Amino acid sequence: MLTPITVTLAATTLGSIAVGMGWVLGWANRTFHVEVDPKVDAILAALPGANCGGCGYVGCSDYAEAVARGEAPISLCPPGGAGTAAALASIMGVEVGETLPYRAVIHCSATLQQRLKRTAYRGEPTCAAANLVAGVQGCTYGCLGLGDCMRACDYDAIEVVDGLARIDYRKCIGCKACAKACPRNIISMVPFKADRIMIVGCSNKDFGPVVKEVCSIGCIGCKACTKATDLFTMKDNLPVLDYDRYDPAAVNMQPAIDKCPMESLVYVGKPSRQDLAAVAAEDLPNRVEADFKTTVDDTEWRG
Amino acid sequence: MDTIGSLILIFISAALINNFVLHYFVGICPFLGVSRRIDTAFGMGCAVTFVIAIAATLSWIFTYFILRPGAPLPGWVWTQLGGDPAVTINLSVLSYIVYIFVIASSVQFVEMYVRRFFPPLYKSFGVFLPLITTNCAILFACLLIMQNLADPKALWGLHQALALAVGGGVGFTIAIVLMAGIREELDLADVPRPLRGAGVALVVAGILAMAFMGFTGMDKGIETAFSSLLK
Repeated sequence: MLTPITVTLAATTLGSIAVGMGWVLGWANRTFHVEVDPKVDAILAALPGANCGGCGYVGCSDYAEAVARGEAPISLCPPGGAGTAAALASIMGVEVGETLPYRAVIHCSATLQQRLKRTAYRGEPTCAAANLVAGVQGCTYGCLGLGDCMRACDYDAIEVVDGLARIDYRKCIGCKACAKACPRNIISMVPFKADRIMIVGCSNKDFGPVVKEVCSIGCIGCKACTKATDLFTMKDNLPVLDYDRYDPAAVNMQPAIDKCPMESLVYVGKPSRQDLAAVAAEDLPNRVEADFKTTVDDTEWRG
Repeated sequence: MDTIGSLILIFISAALINNFVLHYFVGICPFLGVSRRIDTAFGMGCAVTFVIAIAATLSWIFTYFILRPGAPLPGWVWTQLGGDPAVTINLSVLSYIVYIFVIASSVQFVEMYVRRFFPPLYKSFGVFLPLITTNCAILFACLLIMQNLADPKALWGLHQALALAVGGGVGFTIAIVLMAGIREELDLADVPRPLRGAGVALVVAGILAMAFMGFTGMDKGIETAFSSLLK
């Protein structure tokens, strides 16, 4: 007799509490409604959502709010590039300026064999640690090849081959993570006006004889390239390429390359036809790409 | 003991002696998850204290009038239906589901309210407020209050329930802010690699809990002090 009554009472109690709470919440939802700027949602939807911080804001939503308030330019998103900038421009109703994709470049082009005066290093296998030790390699400016940038890259775009870090520009999104990670600060962000652009592939600020002792291809500061074209200016014994004026499609840089006695002016980006033809006969090793769906493991096993 | 004295005792007991986090080990998830920086930890503590007070008030009302054995509302319905008034109706089986219900909807309500009237607070709470819904410290406070409403001879009033809830919230805030302060310093310490992160946080939490064991027995001292004060 008592049980069905208790059950009925329990059901009624719960039901009436549910109705009461639902009514209160529904009322609150209407009364406390907050108008959110629809632009913020639209901008957030147009952004890639990588939350990489390349724009300088905390994340995509922070940048979206700044854009909606009109405080930030629409062109700051490196992963989104021109497409995102155009989408943001149509949302905000402003004109798109020219946005260039900024990509990381490594200002060192010497492989392990070309960097001289190296000693065996058996310490912590990171560039940050090796950079603290004197005498790991003769060149105190160049790449150490222990891959701090590779580990900093969330997009798997950096790879160390022959002791030199190399960037895969099909994967690089320009988030600056590698530039921040490099203890020698030899990675900089450069506007890619074309698929293939020229960079100065050396960071050694020493005078010629000193450089020749530590590297077989390093820049000796001979200023030959500045005489061949006016795009270069010398700073700290290194040529600096003026990317504002440098246009790979219009300017022929071949005279400067011919004048350079070392091999310090290099092209990065998409390989040219000649480059591809030169290695056409070589066999490509089978590449094993990480499958991010199944393997997330950055353990460093050090025996 | 007078009423004020017992309220103070309940408050201190919930805040320090029987600290929710460091004595009963409830509310560990936010205690470990949101204790990386002192200001966010303090924000979380304040949010929990706020919600715990609201949830305790609501759950006291529901328990006192509906859920406890011999509660007036179902008893009245029972007699209206022609039942025997001597029979006690006991709906305390519903307590868990009703408490979760109450906590979830009060958190929702608080979130909407804060969003409307205190946007900066909402921005800093942002992620934490929905998290509080699943904070077991709040359910634990409700269940403690239910325990003290189970015995018809020693029923707690709303003021005692509120003292317990606010004390528990303050205790949670103390614990999480202490933890955040330690963890901020811990970031600079050279912790062995296998212990980094959650490992050393749990070790620190254990040591902190041991330190809080030192408050045990403090209630007797406070009681003596009160009684001698009143004489």
